[in-house]
Amino acid sequence: MIAYQSIGTALGMALFAWLMQTGLSGVDRKITARIQKRRGPVWYQNFRDVFKLLNKRSVTHGWIFDLGLLIALAGAIGTAMFMPMAGIIPLQGYDNFFMITYLAALGVFGRALSAGASGNPLAAIGVMRGLTQNIGYKLPYMVLVIVLINYYKTSSISGIAALQQVQGWSVLKMPLGVLVAFISLHGMLGKKPFDTYLAPSEVASGPMVEFGGKYLGLLNIAHEIAVFVEISLFVNLFLGGGATLAEFLLKYMAVYLLSSCLGAVMGRLRVEQVVRFYYKVPIGLTILQVLLFTLLYGGVS
Amino acid sequence: MPKKQLPSRFYPVKHEMQTVEAPAEKISPQQRAETWEKIAQYFRANSLWMLNYCTGCCAIELPLVMTSRFDMERLGMMPMATPRQADILLVTGYASLKTLRRLIYTYEQMGTPKYVVAFGPCAVNGGIYHDAYAVLNRLDLYLPVDLYIAGCMPKPEAVMSGFMKLIELIESGKATGWKDYEQRYEWYKKNQLEAVGEVFIHDEFHE
Amino acid sequence: MNWLSLIVSLFLTGIAGYFIARIKPSLGAWIAMAASCAALLLVLLGGDALPGGPAWGLIRFEVTPLGWFFSLLIILVFSTNGIGSLAAKGRQHREPVYTMLYLFALAASLGVFAAENWLALFIFWEIAVWSSTFAIGLGNGRKGSVSYFGMSLLGSLMMLFAILAMGSAYQTFQIREALTTALQNPGPALMVFILMLGSSMVKLGIMPFHIWMPPAYTEAPDEFAPALAGGLSKLGAFTAFLVSAYLPISGFMGGSWRVKGLPALSYGLVLLASASIVFGTLMAIRQEDAKKLLAYSSAANGGYIIIGILMGTSMSVSGALVHLLAHALATTTAFSVLAVIVRQTGTSRMDALGGLAHRMPLTFLAFLTAILSLVGLPPMLGFVSKWLILQSLASQGLFLPAAAVVFGSIGSMLYAFRILSTVFLGQLKPRHRALQESSPGVLLSLAILSGATMGLGVYPSGLIQYTAKIEASLGMSETVQTAGLSIRGINGNLNALLIMGAFLIGMVIAGAIFFKAPRSRKVDLMDTYTAGEFIYSPELYHYGTQFAAPFERIYEKLPSISRVYAALASLTDDLGNLVKYLFFSPMPSRTALWISVVTILLIWGEVL
Repeated sequence: MIAYQSIGTALGMALFAWLMQTGLSGVDRKITARIQKRRGPVWYQNFRDVFKLLNKRSVTHGWIFDLGLLIALAGAIGTAMFMPMAGIIPLQGYDNFFMITYLAALGVFGRALSAGASGNPLAAIGVMRGLTQNIGYKLPYMVLVIVLINYYKTSSISGIAALQQVQGWSVLKMPLGVLVAFISLHGMLGKKPFDTYLAPSEVASGPMVEFGGKYLGLLNIAHEIAVFVEISLFVNLFLGGGATLAEFLLKYMAVYLLSSCLGAVMGRLRVEQVVRFYYKVPIGLTILQVLLFTLLYGGVS
Repeated sequence: MPKKQLPSRFYPVKHEMQTVEAPAEKISPQQRAETWEKIAQYFRANSLWMLNYCTGCCAIELPLVMTSRFDMERLGMMPMATPRQADILLVTGYASLKTLRRLIYTYEQMGTPKYVVAFGPCAVNGGIYHDAYAVLNRLDLYLPVDLYIAGCMPKPEAVMSGFMKLIELIESGKATGWKDYEQRYEWYKKNQLEAVGEVFIHDEFHE
Repeated sequence: MNWLSLIVSLFLTGIAGYFIARIKPSLGAWIAMAASCAALLLVLLGGDALPGGPAWGLIRFEVTPLGWFFSLLIILVFSTNGIGSLAAKGRQHREPVYTMLYLFALAASLGVFAAENWLALFIFWEIAVWSSTFAIGLGNGRKGSVSYFGMSLLGSLMMLFAILAMGSAYQTFQIREALTTALQNPGPALMVFILMLGSSMVKLGIMPFHIWMPPAYTEAPDEFAPALAGGLSKLGAFTAFLVSAYLPISGFMGGSWRVKGLPALSYGLVLLASASIVFGTLMAIRQEDAKKLLAYSSAANGGYIIIGILMGTSMSVSGALVHLLAHALATTTAFSVLAVIVRQTGTSRMDALGGLAHRMPLTFLAFLTAILSLVGLPPMLGFVSKWLILQSLASQGLFLPAAAVVFGSIGSMLYAFRILSTVFLGQLKPRHRALQESSPGVLLSLAILSGATMGLGVYPSGLIQYTAKIEASLGMSETVQTAGLSIRGINGNLNALLIMGAFLIGMVIAGAIFFKAPRSRKVDLMDTYTAGEFIYSPELYHYGTQFAAPFERIYEKLPSISRVYAALASLTDDLGNLVKYLFFSPMPSRTALWISVVTILLIWGEVL
């Protein structure tokens, strides 16, 4: 049975996830500013933003608007509670990949529900774009992870990470796949050029158009935790997790900052271009990678 | 251009957070609320998200303020997409009959606390448009203005120093225009109605 | 009490219901409801140890765990739908026939699930098909019942052919005996398998056979659509389970070429089911009618069930069974809610609706659980089944079907959100201001259905143990394992209660922050950010048409299978015309020609 201690660890993981990722996204803002020859805000600017938002009095569009938001944050926190990190595995034996993906999807659905309930058509358009993109990047990503699960014979994330410590990182076994997974991750993080669903001047920040005050604050918290989950998944599944916490965090930061540097120098794609891009390049590469992987590491009998 | 020495006020790290000493005696709820308000004011002052409602020509100065030369993100300021997310409403120039209705609509959609910053002389007395048939001369009859920035148009330096002044006002709890708007709502509404008149046809193709 | 008397009394109640409802139409719905609820009680209390009862010639019953599971499922669907359709008004003229057909369909399905031999199964199967055909015909339109009957006829013919082939070859109609004998002879076994699976694919609406679903679900009476979608279409899955358990492909094609451990034939059929998932999802995304959207999603969900059955591992079969239940519960809920909406607004077109959640919040919550279960999100039952199926796909290494399943479940987010957002969220149309919350009967049935969806989703151990029992009774060597509260997968465990716990902890934290922060001001849905523009017309402001237009544009040239059927129909038509032209012509000269040809042939025959 699950001990209270592991639940404490799990909660600690969720809190750590938020603290670290909010700090890091401040660093991300600083780096983006530097790339654009600006000074940028202080690194803890995002904390100030969140606390300010939580202290504002905002408007609500009804109980579904509130409920969706709570589901979004609860989904994110619940997901982070299962996420293993280096040797720290909060709920041992249950860090199942499919479970984490679907619980994270519940958070996404809650966010979409709340945005839909705001009654703004721009929000509905934003959600539609987000979900369309979601098909684009989740499909190759999940297929690649299923290939990994088949290869490592476990769907436990910490198990896959631990096996990579012995057998070498997955990136060496499927370089193309990791490229695809990184493109997918870039999309999941909502970085340019894949931030079509957030386009501020086209659809007025899409799903978030009606969110202000504490709604935006909670959404921000949920977003940061979701980002933590996505990057941790990538590090655990493709980059071999980490033997120590420092190694894990180093990889984590490298992936995140690479993604934010790329985002800082790119423009935004139109929604059709995004979808077409995802259905051509990443899926093509995924098919190639799965074929190669099957030939090299698992035979057809 | 030589690197300009910025006043120390530009470095937000210098802010001292107002913390309470752990007191032996009981704190009254009012005291606690005051302390909480002070902490909240610190956060509000240092994370200002703006909605640039670009009514007139002063808006052209904002891109300069946002981009690499002046970089208002140093102050924690960011442009935002919608009034729901924003804290400051920038009225960049004159308000005409047509724009005032939208200005009020947008202002009322913002969450409290909210602040209005008016640019240039047009918002004070109509500026060079003071005798135009569609331009309203005094903005503060219709919306509570927290800060005016002088100049026609104000230079980016002026805009930056204006924003710093706004931060000071917010942090010291003097930017209370939104409270004034709530208290004297009838007065503002009367002025607004006198200026823009009543709307008789309610559909998407008329005012 | 035994199974025979249960079925007979249901049939008799149906006939009695016809006459009572002719006298007093409002009693019809009550009789249907009472009979199905009594049946639910009996089957629940009796358990799978219920005796089959005496034999009536060919008609012999034998209750198996699989049959009991299916019976419970279908009675649950029929009884909750019976409770829900008590409020249905305005069908006075067809009430007697409807009551009779409803109970006949239920009784016949129970007969199918407990039949001991193929002939009895076929007879009840046909009764179910015929009664549902006429019940669909009571709705608005004929295309639905015609296409349903046409496709069902195809399925029935396939099944009948397989049954007769087995009967003539092995002199037995007993289900298990016939199939296990067929296993010994690869030639007939292949034919029997293909035909049987074909007939169940027709019922489940797998890809080339799905065309009956959209018209039938749309045109069936609103109170019959839940029973059809949730219950009757699951008949197909029953025979698929039987056939693949007693006549496994690996048994008669064991030595042939294998893909990832599956026989090539299984793999091909799994690919067909995968195509059904992808196609159903794509079509569901671009529908404008809520019922059509759900119909295509049913076609997609049939794919998961077939994949689970054909993979044949303990987890996948268990996943298929759970998915069957999850989909039945979710679809019944969704169609019941749509029935309420259609009854009140007169339309199921999504762009004509909107904002209904503010008028019917409880109905909305029930619909939300159904939609979450359809998408396969925790803590709903749909998640458990998707997890089981994905686990077994991953451990088998079937990447192509896995991609289809993943596509189906992510794509379902798109259409699920669409139906939720366009029907229930957003601005209420001014003409819908007077809408009422569903009646207590409907709410009760929705509460039972969504309670089951969520309850089993949080605590699936009992259900999984029962699927393990079914697997054992079907003679599978290994069964799915549970340990305490968690399901033991091949390469990972699932503890649904733990997930729910984590989610609830998250909810508590989120709620604490939410309620600690300043209270919000409640505003109208017309008070939204419009870039300063003034809006006055809610009916113009709600975004409902061509929802995923950028995505739909990518596959707008997707070939439609119904064109193939149309071509086939016109070919048949032409052939008939040719025959008519040649043989049934009013022109005497042509008749004379044929008379002389026949005469010449006769003489030729005599001479030779």
